[in-house]
Amino acid sequence: MSATAQAAKPAAARRIGGRFGGPLAYAAVAALATLAAIYAPFDDYILHILVETATYAIAVFGLTVVLGLCGQINLAQAAFFGLGAYAVGLGTSDLHVSFWLALVAGACVALVMGAFLGMSTLRLGGHYLAMVTISFQQILTLVMINWIPVTHGPDGVGNIARPAFFTSGHGYLGLCVVALALVGYLVWHLPETKLGRSMRAVRDNELAASVSGIDVYRVKVAAFALCALLGGIGGGLFAGGFAYVSPDQFSFAESIVFLTMALLGGVASPIGALIGTALLIVLPETLRFLKSVPGLYLAIYGLAVILIIRFMPDGIWGFVQSYLRRFMTPPPFAQAAPELVLAPAKLETPSALEIEGLSKHFGGLKAVDGVSFSVRRGSVHALIGPNGSGKTTTLNVLSGLYTPTAGKIALDGHDVTGLPPHARTAAGLGRTFQNIRLFRSMSALDNIVIGAERPGNALGHGHAALVDRARAALGFVGLEGRARDPITSFSYGHQRLIEVARALAGNPTLLLLDEPAAGLNSTEKLELRGLLKRIAAKGLTILIIDHDMALVSDVAEHITVLNFGRRIADGGAAEVLRNPDVIAAYLGAEPDAAHRA
Amino acid sequence: MPLIALEALTVRYGEIEAVHGISLAVEPGEVVTLLGANGAGKSTTLRAISGLAKPASGDIRFEGRSIAGLGPEAIVKLGIAHVPEGRRVFPGLTARENIMLGASNRGRLARRVMSDETDGMFELFPDIKPFADALGWTLSGGQQQMVAVARGLMAKPRLLLLDEPSLGLAPVIVQKVFSIIAEIRRRGTTVLLVEQNARMALSVADRGYVLETGRLALSGKPEELWRNDDVRDAYLGGKAAKVL
Amino acid sequence: MDLALQLLFTGIGIGAVYALVALGFVLIFRATNVVNFAQGEFSMVAAFVMVVLAVDLGWPYWLSFLLSLCAMALVGALFNLGVYYPLRNRSFLPVIIATIGASIFLANSVLALYGPQPQVLQGWFDTPGIQLGPVYLDSQYLLIIAVTIVLVAFQYWFFEHTLLGKKLQATSQDKEMASLLGIPVSAMIMLTFVYSALLGGIAGILVAPVLFVSIQMGATIALKAFAATIIGGFGDVAGAIIGGLALGVIETFGAAYVSVPYKDGFAFLVLVLFLIFRPQGIFGERVAEKA
Repeated sequence: MSATAQAAKPAAARRIGGRFGGPLAYAAVAALATLAAIYAPFDDYILHILVETATYAIAVFGLTVVLGLCGQINLAQAAFFGLGAYAVGLGTSDLHVSFWLALVAGACVALVMGAFLGMSTLRLGGHYLAMVTISFQQILTLVMINWIPVTHGPDGVGNIARPAFFTSGHGYLGLCVVALALVGYLVWHLPETKLGRSMRAVRDNELAASVSGIDVYRVKVAAFALCALLGGIGGGLFAGGFAYVSPDQFSFAESIVFLTMALLGGVASPIGALIGTALLIVLPETLRFLKSVPGLYLAIYGLAVILIIRFMPDGIWGFVQSYLRRFMTPPPFAQAAPELVLAPAKLETPSALEIEGLSKHFGGLKAVDGVSFSVRRGSVHALIGPNGSGKTTTLNVLSGLYTPTAGKIALDGHDVTGLPPHARTAAGLGRTFQNIRLFRSMSALDNIVIGAERPGNALGHGHAALVDRARAALGFVGLEGRARDPITSFSYGHQRLIEVARALAGNPTLLLLDEPAAGLNSTEKLELRGLLKRIAAKGLTILIIDHDMALVSDVAEHITVLNFGRRIADGGAAEVLRNPDVIAAYLGAEPDAAHRA
Repeated sequence: MPLIALEALTVRYGEIEAVHGISLAVEPGEVVTLLGANGAGKSTTLRAISGLAKPASGDIRFEGRSIAGLGPEAIVKLGIAHVPEGRRVFPGLTARENIMLGASNRGRLARRVMSDETDGMFELFPDIKPFADALGWTLSGGQQQMVAVARGLMAKPRLLLLDEPSLGLAPVIVQKVFSIIAEIRRRGTTVLLVEQNARMALSVADRGYVLETGRLALSGKPEELWRNDDVRDAYLGGKAAKVL
Repeated sequence: MDLALQLLFTGIGIGAVYALVALGFVLIFRATNVVNFAQGEFSMVAAFVMVVLAVDLGWPYWLSFLLSLCAMALVGALFNLGVYYPLRNRSFLPVIIATIGASIFLANSVLALYGPQPQVLQGWFDTPGIQLGPVYLDSQYLLIIAVTIVLVAFQYWFFEHTLLGKKLQATSQDKEMASLLGIPVSAMIMLTFVYSALLGGIAGILVAPVLFVSIQMGATIALKAFAATIIGGFGDVAGAIIGGLALGVIETFGAAYVSVPYKDGFAFLVLVLFLIFRPQGIFGERVAEKA
């Protein structure tokens, strides 16, 4: 589509696309909404509902971040909401501090609690997080009810003050709408930032995220703390809106309401969050009978959660979006992709990778047993061996997924033996996986941008430099024209190329390729062979593991052979392939006697 | 009539087509081996026969009857036992329990019968008899392989599918495993054997097929295949074979 | 000292309930790799069914008990068919959210049908208890402990000495291999859910006379049971039992010597301490890491 046709599209349509609308359009809509909040002739009832919607939505944005972007669960959002609300309530009514101070204090408390919970749990599996957040929620409810001297117990806190200039119903709603717009803008744009991209990467594939240089644990803690922070801000504003708060407003049931709002609207986008929040606040108000029987509306929410998960996992907005996408075309790039420059650090050491006495034992099984070899800078080195010979274990020890039982690994002369995967990536290691690990919810370009963002990759500043780098890498593997296409639309062979491009974009010192030919058909294998030769021609050091001996013997200058976890041969390619031990390892040793009776 | 016949079988894994239109047949009483490099589609072929992978097209006939599309539980009840790659011994059960569960396909069996047959397996595999009550995960690779084969035999199969029985085993143990395969063959069970160790496989087989990237490249008698340069091609790559 | 003995007895009694629910958690986790957040609601639903039958309708206690168990078997089966089975091939997060949804659904359906008032269910025995030296042995606590011992013994026998038990274990360890041997995997998973619902139901009916029968009891029990599984070592049967008992004792002593209102908070505290200092629990991982 031409640029003029693109511009002719109504601004609204582009905004709906979520990612391509301009900040100006957003600001205009936000300003209109604020004006409407202040001047529209709403009665008190409507004002109440709107304040509730706006403040709840801020908290639900938190779930958009933690659940939608980062894929982690939080079942205590009502507790964080309550922390903010009680801070404003107790601060303004008992301690007589200013509303703003109390709001900031509440948000900080929520942030700190969120960070603490996240730090203590996020290294463990997701079900721990779910249970710990439920526990936290229950404890906080207990404290609110039982710490009567401070919290006033079940009676709750009254006489909560509003800040100066915003004491009227309309004025306060205006304040809430502005806050909603600001927070909404941040959450809306978070996926475009490094942190947001890292979160999405973690959600899509933790392993791939960590070998792309992302500190998975830190990103998760950040997402969780951010979620708690938004809960605290929403709660603080909520308290000001209603002048009275009590423990039952922040119970576990409310956490589930928040969760249902996020899931119903669509957990991946703040627009979905807003839709879900508005629906679940307005619906029970209009369908009064739901609230007339205690438990009924929550029972329906519970059922709704099961049904949404099963039949509409992307929520209402996700559903709408999948239709809108058909009519949206992202603007084409103005310039052609730059050429890929691979400039790996050139140091004094002759070898890019030095492995010494590397062992990895699993219980009694010696998967890798005292293996040593070195990869000469600028060479293509292959590591081969029959199935179960310890190649993949070696690779996993190299990239930091396993800790070695013994031995030393030096990358570029630096000892990296004790480093976690993301730190090794930062030190210059790039890798691909045998079973392709891409970030499946993203476009090809976004996948590669994450690779380009590798810590230690010297690029120009700004988003444009990243995108240029990513486009260069994509162009290098021959897929420049499909930059914006979602990963799932690519063939298996092309996905493999994108994975290679992701690693190349990070400008690694050493590229580890784990069975790149696996699952490729013969045409794709030819393409791969060409690509590897072009990479080698640029001087990048490659360590390749593969079974396809045709490929290995064609591209590798140097081969190391493993069998039963030990090195059985090491040397120039032709020489190694003539080695009788290697032939025996592949074809089997001569049997003692024929077994055919 | 062949015991099992594959007719233009094609199997996909997600986006990868792992097996493209393979046709082959195994006669009753034969030991037939499928050779080929890693990723050639050997394991996938076995998985399709035992019902773990659904054929995308083509047919699988067991005694003339189509079994394509049946689930693994139904197929093993017809008398096809699959000893998969990696042995897959239940780690938390003892060797004895593992072997006993192999008879799960045979309906209600008296406990006595099952117990006697399990003892019979320990006669066939005396090496694992001392480890009958050891948990699966504590066994060595070779012991696990014997448990896995014994478990497969407990199904009283008419067709035994063996996937890489020598994988990761030391040469001495490999010899043992293959003498057991010879014994199984002597007892009249039909075997379809997938092996990376071509020499060993050809030493026990009546016939062999060679797969290359999901297609049938060659078939023939063991001696012919062993002498054929293309077999070496399939394992060591074209260029390497010329170097040899 | 006398008080301590008395507390120990009570703590073990309560802990036995946590252990039963924890056992249900562990069985489902091992069979399906899913943490069932609705496990506690099985206890709550069973207690309410019992109240309806034995109190409201005035049916004999034993008959009500049997019918309640039948109801729980049905709940377990429906839970499998409605929540787990359709999502069995999805990733971990959707399944966990669905079980949470189911938990909310069960709790609030009971609330909508029965109202919010906590109910009282009398114990199985007419005699309130016996005095043994300085310790008063409440008959319901004795029953809880006895039933737990019997159930744990039954479960041990079932898993270690029956072929069906072995098939269930095989299914939980490697589903694909189990299906290759002709073990009906779906039926095994169904059986696991039914059995776990029964365990949870028995725990709920046993604990009902000690606590009030309320909508919240499910969530409370589930939280304790989950803490028990983490303390014991996730996925470990013996760990679940030891963890449950330990938690019951800690909580009872905490309530007596520290604070009553925060009784339910101790479980959380112990949970967080374990998560920080020993996340693998007392028993840790049983099967060693192997390639």
